[in-house]
Amino acid sequence: MTASGLADLLLERRVIVCVGSGGVGKTTLAASLGIEAARLGRRVLVLTIDPARRLADALGLPSFGNEVRRVDVRGALPEGHLDAMMLDTRATFDDLIRRLAPDEVRRREILENQVYRLVSDSFGSSQEYMATEKLYDVVATGRYDLVVLDTPPVKNALEFLDAPGRLARFLDRRIVKWFLTPYDENRVFGRVLIGTSGVVFRLLGVIFGREFLGELSRFFIAFRDMYDGFRERHEAVTRIFEDQATAFLVVSAPTEASVDVATFFREELLARRLVLGGFLVNQVHGWGPEVEDPADILEPLLTNLPEDRARRVRSRCAVAYGRTKAVAAREGPLRERIRRYAHPDRVYAEIPLLPEPVRDLEGLDAVIRHLFPAHPDP
Amino acid sequence: MRVRDVLDARLLFVTGKGGTGKTTVALALARLAASEGRRVVLVEVDSHRPTLASWLDLETAYGPVPAGPGLDVANVTWLDALVDWLTGIVPVQRIVRLILTNRMVHLFLDVTPGSREVVLLARIEALLGSYDQVVVDLPAAGHAVSFLKVPQQSASLFPSGPLRRTLDGLVLLLSRPDTQVVLTALPEEMVVNETVETWVRLTGFRPSLALPLVVLNKALPPDPDPQWRADVRRVAARHKASHPAGAVLQAGLWEAEREELTADALDRLSREIRARVVLVPLVDELPGPLERVGHVEAVLGAALSDP
Repeated sequence: MTASGLADLLLERRVIVCVGSGGVGKTTLAASLGIEAARLGRRVLVLTIDPARRLADALGLPSFGNEVRRVDVRGALPEGHLDAMMLDTRATFDDLIRRLAPDEVRRREILENQVYRLVSDSFGSSQEYMATEKLYDVVATGRYDLVVLDTPPVKNALEFLDAPGRLARFLDRRIVKWFLTPYDENRVFGRVLIGTSGVVFRLLGVIFGREFLGELSRFFIAFRDMYDGFRERHEAVTRIFEDQATAFLVVSAPTEASVDVATFFREELLARRLVLGGFLVNQVHGWGPEVEDPADILEPLLTNLPEDRARRVRSRCAVAYGRTKAVAAREGPLRERIRRYAHPDRVYAEIPLLPEPVRDLEGLDAVIRHLFPAHPDP
Repeated sequence: MRVRDVLDARLLFVTGKGGTGKTTVALALARLAASEGRRVVLVEVDSHRPTLASWLDLETAYGPVPAGPGLDVANVTWLDALVDWLTGIVPVQRIVRLILTNRMVHLFLDVTPGSREVVLLARIEALLGSYDQVVVDLPAAGHAVSFLKVPQQSASLFPSGPLRRTLDGLVLLLSRPDTQVVLTALPEEMVVNETVETWVRLTGFRPSLALPLVVLNKALPPDPDPQWRADVRRVAARHKASHPAGAVLQAGLWEAEREELTADALDRLSREIRARVVLVPLVDELPGPLERVGHVEAVLGAALSDP
């Protein structure tokens, strides 16, 4: 399947998750897909993580607060529109605690706990975890036909695919129960160690210090009857991942490191029976048919310039073109590898390295023209 | 403070946004130090797919393996580091086994934020005993900051006990003047943002860091005469990309942009964090990772002899 299948994905899916390594243009591509989907008449939300400032400005995104902004899309069908939201990880985590804590007292108890601070620093700064958290929220509103999720850069597919379960695992009932059993919940300090795990428990006390174990049990106690809430959310996110209306798009650049990450994502997505929609290869070098003598071919275009400046442009462009050709040659086999992954029925599209970084809606339109070549200019 | 002092560090952490050439720079630095006669170990941290193994075509392991004159490499994995650490504080093997085979303890240590970093850092500290220099290829920048912050951050949780003693040792180690950080970056807006942010966060809890040494990969040193950039843009604007010379013009446009991005990066890094930036220029053809390492090594070597 070719890029035309990409439009079908936009029309048929409810969630598209763009995954891949860092620096390959996931945010740009997610925004482009969102714009195109709005033009196809869908109500779309693009949830981005950390867009370049100028791209965020172009989309009208404030830098914090999980606020939804309407993006003015030229040529959108009347029923379609595009919203964009930039994920604020800290706010997302606080929201989560606020929502799951039964009352104000408990919320304060949790927020003041030292273990919580460590946990929240680890989970709160975990964009992988928070991205999936927010995905659940926006899908649950039912306000969108399609949610495009731009994901944080990961080196390892598991970091992202396993993210929804991380907090649930930490609050695993078995661990909590094992920790709380030796304690009398009401007398955390004056406890009696009981049960077979007593020995190991005493050892942990020696290693970590009894103060820590006390603080930890207070943490677990503060979280009591919130475990189910976390587990339910984890299960809900997992259901969204597994839904047939969800598709994963693997984004890569034609570099070894990026293609390795893409390969690993492919393996993991297939092993987990998640819907692998296809592959987008971004930043491909090589702009058109090969040129024999780059300096020569420029000659007639430079007649308006004084000779020394013309010479300068000629030599700089020739050097640049030579480098481009070398890079393009190296990219060939890597692109071929991804193309084979897509064969026969998955989306495969290439987007050339644009001479200038995408900074505005016009830049996004240039990307869209490559993603959807048949599409007439709006 | 000079570049030389940063690179003479006994413990050198290398970090940067994903895709900025962290591992390349780490290996280049380790080789440079080894070529000056030091015993060096290059450490990958808890890597499931060890990059160095495939680059150097050898089996890396928890224990250091030789990778050239004066240079060893090791992949410090969490579970092995945990066994080492526990053995250090509970000298009775039977008890270590008892702790390690308890599924709950396992689960607990695995998910407790911070415990992973602490045992990994403890192992890195132990390696200092057998080497002149330890170079650590840290996880990507955002994670690296949390990683290095753990000992200080969790100290208040553990008022006493062996873990506390480990933490105190690590806090001390991380604030020594011969423990340094090198950042890798690319001349791209997002990457520069993250580099600045990483440094600000690092110095927030580690004010003793000497100077931000940033290795700027895939850079294009700005031409002192900017005229050609304006010229190529004017010419390109008059012709469609489908013109027979289109590919050549696009390549020229891209490099003109790259020059300006490099200038922007240099400007911002020196203005906002007063970084000493080593430019690693684009070269025509670098087929494999080891050739890239060689290139970076040559550039860094030249930067070192600078006053």
